[in-house]
Amino acid sequence: MSPVIDVVAPRLLAPAIMLAAALIVKGYTDAGEGFSAGVIVALAVALRYVVLGQRRGDRSIRPARHAHVIAAVGLLIAIACGFGSTLIGEPPFTHLPLAGEPVVHVGTLELTTAVGFDVGLFMLVSGSLVMLVRHLTGLIEGDDVTDEPVAEEATADDAATADGAGR
Amino acid sequence: MTPRAGGAHASGGSASGGRASVLAWTSVGIAAVAFALTLVGVANGAPSGGWRFSLPWAPSLGIRLELGFDGLSALYALLASGIGLLVFAYGAAYLPRHLAHEDRPPSEARRFWPWMTLFMLAMIGLATAQDLIVLFVFFDITAVASYFLIGFDRHRVEARGSALMALLVTGVSAVALLIGAVLLQAVYGTTSLEALFRSAAPGPATTTAALLIAVAALAKSAQVPLHFWLPRAMAAPTPVSAYLHSAAMVAAGVLVIGRVHPLLALNPAVLDVLLVVGFASIAVGGLLALAQDELKQVLAYSTISQYGYVVVLYGIGGPDGAVAAALYVVAHAIAKSALFMTAGAVTESTGESRLSRLGGLARDLPTLAIASLVCAASLAALPLTLGFFKDELYFIAATSRGPVVTALAVLGAGLTVAYLGRFWLAIFVGPRRSPAAPLPVLLVAPVVVLGALSVIGGVAVDPFARLAEAAAAVTHGAPVHADPAYHLDARPANLMAVAAYALGALLLVVARLRPRIFAAVDGLGERLGPRRLYSGFLLALNRASDRAHRAEVRDLRTSLTAILVPTGALVALGFLATPTEGAYVIGPVVPADVPTIALLALAVVAAVTAATDRGRLRPVLALSVVGFSLAGVYAVMGAPDVALVALVVESVVTLIFVAVFERLPGTTVHRPAGAGAAPHRLRNVAAGVIAGASAFAVIWTALSRPPLGASDAADQIRRTPEAHGGDVVTVILADFRGLDTMVEITVLAVAILGVVSLLRRRETA
Repeated sequence: MSPVIDVVAPRLLAPAIMLAAALIVKGYTDAGEGFSAGVIVALAVALRYVVLGQRRGDRSIRPARHAHVIAAVGLLIAIACGFGSTLIGEPPFTHLPLAGEPVVHVGTLELTTAVGFDVGLFMLVSGSLVMLVRHLTGLIEGDDVTDEPVAEEATADDAATADGAGR
Repeated sequence: MTPRAGGAHASGGSASGGRASVLAWTSVGIAAVAFALTLVGVANGAPSGGWRFSLPWAPSLGIRLELGFDGLSALYALLASGIGLLVFAYGAAYLPRHLAHEDRPPSEARRFWPWMTLFMLAMIGLATAQDLIVLFVFFDITAVASYFLIGFDRHRVEARGSALMALLVTGVSAVALLIGAVLLQAVYGTTSLEALFRSAAPGPATTTAALLIAVAALAKSAQVPLHFWLPRAMAAPTPVSAYLHSAAMVAAGVLVIGRVHPLLALNPAVLDVLLVVGFASIAVGGLLALAQDELKQVLAYSTISQYGYVVVLYGIGGPDGAVAAALYVVAHAIAKSALFMTAGAVTESTGESRLSRLGGLARDLPTLAIASLVCAASLAALPLTLGFFKDELYFIAATSRGPVVTALAVLGAGLTVAYLGRFWLAIFVGPRRSPAAPLPVLLVAPVVVLGALSVIGGVAVDPFARLAEAAAAVTHGAPVHADPAYHLDARPANLMAVAAYALGALLLVVARLRPRIFAAVDGLGERLGPRRLYSGFLLALNRASDRAHRAEVRDLRTSLTAILVPTGALVALGFLATPTEGAYVIGPVVPADVPTIALLALAVVAAVTAATDRGRLRPVLALSVVGFSLAGVYAVMGAPDVALVALVVESVVTLIFVAVFERLPGTTVHRPAGAGAAPHRLRNVAAGVIAGASAFAVIWTALSRPPLGASDAADQIRRTPEAHGGDVVTVILADFRGLDTMVEITVLAVAILGVVSLLRRRETA
C-alpha cells in the first residue's frame, strides 16, 4: 500500500467515530441516520484492517474482536425499542413517549425510543460489517487467528462441527 | 453407529430401556383409553345420533372444523383403537427385541411410539371427520406418520426408499382429494359432507370431484394400479405392518369411500370404476400372493386383494353392498393384523422370514398355530368364524349385480382360500426346517385375543352385524338391515361358498405342484408393473432437477442470469400488458439538469469501461465510479440521505474489493481462448441486454408519470414534527416504517452471519 494510506489509515478511526456520533445526534433533524453512521465507522475500521492485516489490526483495535457482541447487542436494543411499546398496549413501533407528551432534551437531541432504535441500528450495522471485514482479511492473510477470544470461538466451532458430523 | 452410542447401549442400557418401555406402555395406555371411550360412545347409542362438534374454521370459504361420531366413525374408531391397543401391546414386546437384533440402543423407541400414537389419533380423527377439508388434513397426517414408521429402520436403504414411495404415492394422490374438495366448494359453496349430500346434483363437476376423491382413496387402500407401494412398505417393523397395513392406513382409503359414497353414487359410472379397480386388485393381489415366498409379502399382496373386495362392494353399492363392505372391513382387520403379528412372531422365534425355509412349527408353537389358523380360516371365510358372514353378505351383494360379478366373486374367494391355505400350511405343517425358540407371552397373546374374537363372531355375529348396519346406514344414507346367519340349504350364497372352497383347494394343489406358473405371473408383474413407471419417473425428475441445478449455479454468471433474465422477461410481459399512453415521455431539458446529465454520462462511460476492460483492478474502480456518480445524482436531486448512504456503502465495497484483489497472485487475467468461450459470451450479452432493457423501461416509465396527488408522503411530511424529527427520511426509517427497517436489519444480520460462518469453515478446514 502507498505511504499515504499507511499514514492515514491508523489516524482515521477517531474522526470517523466523531462523524458517526454527529450523524446520529443530528440525524433526527438533518440528513443521516444510524445506518450511515454504522457504515462510516466500519469503513474506518476496514481501512485499518486492510492496511495492517488481521493480526495487527486486532492488536490495534481491541474492541473489533467483539464485533459480534456489539452487533447482537445492537439487534437486541433495536428489538427492545421497536416492540417495547407493545408492553403498554400500543402497536409495535409506536415511539415513546407518545406524541404530545413531554420529552427529555439533551442539547438538540430529543430522547425517544426512535432514537434508541437508531442507536441499535448503528451498533448492528457497524458490528456486522467489522465482523465481515475481520474474517475477510483473515482469509486473505491465510494465517491462523491466535488471540484468545477468537481461539475460544474456534474450539467451540470445532466442537459444534464434530458434533454435527457425529450425528 | 458411533462407538459412543454403542457404549451407552452397553452401560446404560437398562436405564434407557426402562424409559423406552415407559414410552411404549404410555402409548398402550393411550390406545386403551381411546378404545374405552369409543366403546362408551358406542354403548350410549352414538351410532344412531352421537355427538357432533362444529366450529367455524374458514367461515368465508364455508369450511367448518366438523367432527361427528356416527355409525361409520364408531366402526373405524373401534378398529383403530382396539386393534391399536393389541398391536401396541405386541409392539411393547417386539420393538426392544427388534432394536437389540439390529444393535441399536433401546432409546430409539422414541422415534417409534410417538408416531404410532399420532397415527392412531389421526385415524380416529379421520373416522370422525365430517368435512372434506378436515378429512384431507387427517388423511395427510396418516401419510406423514406412515413415512416415519415405514422408514423406522433408516439405516437400510430399502426402508428409506419404501417410506418415500409410500409417502409419494399416497401423499401425491391425496392432493386429488383436496382438488376434489375445492371443486365441490366452488360449485356448492361448502365442504361439509352433510350439506353436500343434501345439495349435490349429478353433473360433470360432481363426477370429476367424485373420481378425484376416489383416486386418493384407492391409492391409500393400495388398489391397482397404485398398489405397488404396499409390498415395498413391508420393510417396516412388524407392528407397523400389523397396524398400518391391516386395520389403519389402508383402511383409511375405504373409510373415505364409505364416507363420501353418496357423492360417488350420484353417477353410476363412478361405481363401475370402483368395480373394475376392485376386481383387478383382487386378481393381481391374489395371484401375486400365491407366488411370494416371504411371509409379509404374502400378507401384503393379500391385503391388496382383500381391500379389492371392499372396493368391489362399494362399487356394487346399495344397502347390501354397504353393509357387506362394513362387515368385511371388521372381519379382515381383526384377522389380518393377527396374521401379520403371527409372521413377526414366527420370524422372531426362528430367524427365518421365508415360507420355503419354514415348516412344522405347529409342534413347537401350538398356541400360535391354533390362533393363526382360526384367523386364516376367518379370512378364507370358513364356517364358525366371523369371516364366513363377511363372505355370505359379499355373495348376496354380488348376485344382485348379475352373473359376471357373481362369477368373479367366486374366483376371488377361491384365490383367497388358496393363498391363505398355502401361508398357514407352509409355516405350521410339514417337515421342520428350522429350530424354533420359545416366544414371550406378549408376542402370542394379541394373536390369541384376535383369534378368539374371530370365533366369537362366528358363533354370535349379532354385535358385529349391528356395528356394520350402523356404518352402512351412513354410507347408504338410509337405515340398512342385514341378517347374516347359518342356513343349511342350497341357497346361492352357500353354493358360491362351496364353489370357492373347491376352487381354492384346487389352486392350492396347483401352487404346490407347479409353483412356476405363479412365479411367471410374478415375473411378468415385475417387468410390466407400474412400479417401473414410478422409479423411471422419479429418476427422470431427479435428472431434470440436477440439470437445472447445474445450469443455474455453474458459476457466478449463470446464477446472475437465473435471477436477471426471468425478472427482465416478466417485467417485459407486464409492460406489454399495460397501456403505454403517457408512460414514456421525453421531457424538456432545463439548465438545472446539466449536473445530473454530466454525472449520468460519467456513469455510462464508467459502466462501459467496467464491462469491456480486461484488467483486474480497473473494472472495479470503474464500478465504483458508477456508484459515486449515482450518489452524486441523488445529492443533486435533493436526496442527501440516500446520497450519504450510497457514498459510504460504495466506499466500503471498493475498499474490500481492492483489499481482496491486492492479495491475488499475478496482475493479468488469462482467459481461456477457444471455441468454448464464444457461446457463453453471446449468452452473457443477451442476458445483460434483457436485464438492462427491462430496467431501463421501468425507470423511464416511473419518471414519466407525475406523482399521484394525495399520497402517504404528504401525510408523513406533515406528521414529522410530531415524531420529534426534522428529517423525514430518518423519521420514516426509524419510526413510521420502523417495522420494515427492523426486518431489513435482521436480514442483514443473518446474511452476514452466513458469510462469516462460511469464511470460518474455510479457516478451520
